[in-house]
Amino acid sequence: MASLRPRTLPLSVRALRSTLRSTRPSPSTSLFAPASAPSTQTPLTRAHSTSSVSADELSHFSALASSWWDPMGPSRILHLMNPLRHEFIASCLAEGSSSPDPTSSAATLNYLDVGCGGGIFAESLARTIPIGPTGPAPTPTRAASMTAIDPSTNLIQMAREHARMDPTVDSHLRTGRFKYLNTTLEDVLAGNAPISTSAPASNPNQNPSLELTPPQYDIVTLFEVLEHIDPKTSTPLSFLTNCLRALKPGGWLIGSTISRTLPSFILNQVIAEAPWPIGVVPRGTHEWSKFVNPDEVKGWLQEGLMRAADTGVSRGGSAVAEGMRWKCVGAIYVPGIGWKMVPGSEDWGNYFWAVRKEL
Amino acid sequence: MYTTEARGTLDSYKSPIVCTVCTAPLSSIIRCTLQSPNTMRPISRALLRPYVCPTCRHGIGAGRRRFGSKSDTPELYDVVCVGGGPAGLGLLAALRASPITSKLKVALIESQDLNKAKAWDLEPNQFSNRVSSLTPSTVSFLRSIGAYDCLDVTRVQEYQDMQVWDGQTGSSISFDWSMETSPFEEMRTVATMTENANLVRALLRRIADSGDENLSLFSNATVASIENGKDLKPEGPDLSAWPVVTVKPTGPAAETETPKRIAARLLVGADGINSPVRAFADIPTQGWDYGRHGIVATLALAEPATQPFPASKRTAYQRFLPALGGPIALLPLPNNHATLVWSTTPENAAYLKSLPTPAFLAMVNAAFRLDMTDLNYMMGMQSSDSTHSHQDELAWRAQHTSLPTQIPPPATGVQTGTVASFPLRFRHAAQYISPRVALVGDAAHVIHPLAGQGLNLGLADVASLSKTIQYAVSHGMDVGDLLTLERYSSERYLPNAKIGGACDLLHKMYNVPGEGPVAWARSLGLGVVDRLPFVKSFLMKNAEGY
Repeated sequence: MASLRPRTLPLSVRALRSTLRSTRPSPSTSLFAPASAPSTQTPLTRAHSTSSVSADELSHFSALASSWWDPMGPSRILHLMNPLRHEFIASCLAEGSSSPDPTSSAATLNYLDVGCGGGIFAESLARTIPIGPTGPAPTPTRAASMTAIDPSTNLIQMAREHARMDPTVDSHLRTGRFKYLNTTLEDVLAGNAPISTSAPASNPNQNPSLELTPPQYDIVTLFEVLEHIDPKTSTPLSFLTNCLRALKPGGWLIGSTISRTLPSFILNQVIAEAPWPIGVVPRGTHEWSKFVNPDEVKGWLQEGLMRAADTGVSRGGSAVAEGMRWKCVGAIYVPGIGWKMVPGSEDWGNYFWAVRKEL
Repeated sequence: MYTTEARGTLDSYKSPIVCTVCTAPLSSIIRCTLQSPNTMRPISRALLRPYVCPTCRHGIGAGRRRFGSKSDTPELYDVVCVGGGPAGLGLLAALRASPITSKLKVALIESQDLNKAKAWDLEPNQFSNRVSSLTPSTVSFLRSIGAYDCLDVTRVQEYQDMQVWDGQTGSSISFDWSMETSPFEEMRTVATMTENANLVRALLRRIADSGDENLSLFSNATVASIENGKDLKPEGPDLSAWPVVTVKPTGPAAETETPKRIAARLLVGADGINSPVRAFADIPTQGWDYGRHGIVATLALAEPATQPFPASKRTAYQRFLPALGGPIALLPLPNNHATLVWSTTPENAAYLKSLPTPAFLAMVNAAFRLDMTDLNYMMGMQSSDSTHSHQDELAWRAQHTSLPTQIPPPATGVQTGTVASFPLRFRHAAQYISPRVALVGDAAHVIHPLAGQGLNLGLADVASLSKTIQYAVSHGMDVGDLLTLERYSSERYLPNAKIGGACDLLHKMYNVPGEGPVAWARSLGLGVVDRLPFVKSFLMKNAEGY
């Protein structure tokens, strides 16, 4: 059932960062130690009321909240990568809308961000949603709404708190164009996502509908999530299939992850987890075996497209997978310059990928 | 108050206004809003904006409307710029010119009267004494934002050649592009001279051309205070990290108008050397006073002895005067006029300013011609001694001096009221950015004017910051966030420090009087640079921002 492990950080990126900036003070390491040790967290956090958050978690959350959004904090590399996500999405959309449709420039797309964490991507996309729906979209990502989900109560809470600090994003939260839901992808598909108010929420069992709701999203994003899927409860294949089920026909599933190759092994396992001061990630943080290669993602998506189509209205089959619109490009962090898209570097570490669910 | 609002509601009842979102006519809503007098307030305010009916408004910004009705909540802006000099206005013009950032809600606060600045006008042969040289990269930035077209080009003078020499050793260097361009091409411009008032007026015109949507110009207004906002929980957003500026009108309006509070997503300090924005952000500055004053004046020059070739070629002159505390520069203006910038000690500056016009002119001409010893003597002459005038002294001493070849034509007149002086200082802010705060121009750095780079650095800041804001807006970034602003800071901090440091070094090297190792090194340095084309072209490209 549960597909996502509530990691507090995309660890691969953190590891990469720590190798590049080995001067990080040790207190922040201890701060993240509980989060990265699987034994100290429940694999699924389904509490929807803030009152169920224990004092321990709250103090942990407040410490985490300040560093998640700290531009110089442990997530710095992730923040720096964020603009590239926008560019990659824009490049996918530019490819998708080859027809000179007059509506193609309007902000009409509904986004679902799976595993939003503290909301680095979700909030930045929500900021591009226009206040008034008229006129062309302000950015090529053309967002009309954003639903961001994460199974971790703490992170959702933190994301909501941070979103309030921007009046534009805050107004989208109030009108519902932007939603943070403390839920799983499976629950979204089952249509029993909790109400996204910060007030004590309704019992999730109030809406026991198990009917699959029709797919409702134009873009599903999956940034730095795929490498954190727990093999005990889910597989990348079933998880990606569910992502595709949430997509409208013609929509894009867009993600980023890390490949399981020798360079990434050296970077993430050998250097990042070396004893201090070279590595600052506690030993055992990473499960290199969970990293995924581009061809594996592609294979799962082909299979997933067929499966997703089978459960829908139309008949699926191998025809769906054959003409699959697939994009993949590597991204490399150069200290002092920043992240750069480098086509062909997919096997070196981080890469973006996208697939279009055909009409 | 209440009657005007009721009237406003009534008027709008007759007018065929429809909601811009759902096209519901206004009349259908009036009925329900009239039930409660409290709900009339938002309606009357909405008349000032494109009309949106309450149903849609509830959907768009329910929270916004509620906190808007509180008296202590500030108006929200994306970019608030404090200071309406060339840097501040340049930023505004750049933001308005880009289609990506033109929708941002921007404000500018300036203590002077911007309407007066926009109406600035002078006779064709009168020139303001506040003149700047624009490097080609600054000109291309101004072109790119459409401001250069608003400049009165008849008051602007390009020059293609720059003569720089050492008054002590006589070693010289000539900056022109002749080694880079073929003789058949048009000569490349070294820099463009323009009055600051002309530039400010051009920028104001450019901003006015962009319309007044999402734009507030607070003219004749000062910043009374800057503080952090409040968390408007539960009805509104958390503004506790947003700077809130209290804008107080000055002049006659101060009595009638009440101070206004505006909150800034990004507060830009373009407010000069004593920047209040920098003080709010608690950013320290390093620096020192040079103990020198710059004298400026608008001069009329004699016809040059030999006509320039090609005819349009103009030359700027700068001579270092180690014995007098700094260089003297004569930069061309249209119609044989020139602007003078003479850096010297405060005592010399006071002496020069006290001289009658003919004596002042004689000193300027002497400074380009005579030896250090002669100049020192003339600087101490009794200005009231009519039998023994500066002019005679210059004429006599010039006969016994071998004049350098590159001297400018003699100055023949001073425009009245243009002789002024200002202290020379070096300042560099410890950083340019802080959460929701960015510093540009003199608020971030003040440098020695000997290379004429101050305004160019300020406008380069503005070009970089506006580009950074464009990038942020198109990538969903918060324009006030440190992650956004660090792009600006990392692009500008080092170049500014480099040029400021180079000017400082030049100033110090050319302040060692007499012969000696420093003077030899100077002349060797200039001589070597002048003979090595690639070094010279590298230096020139650096100086011009290519």
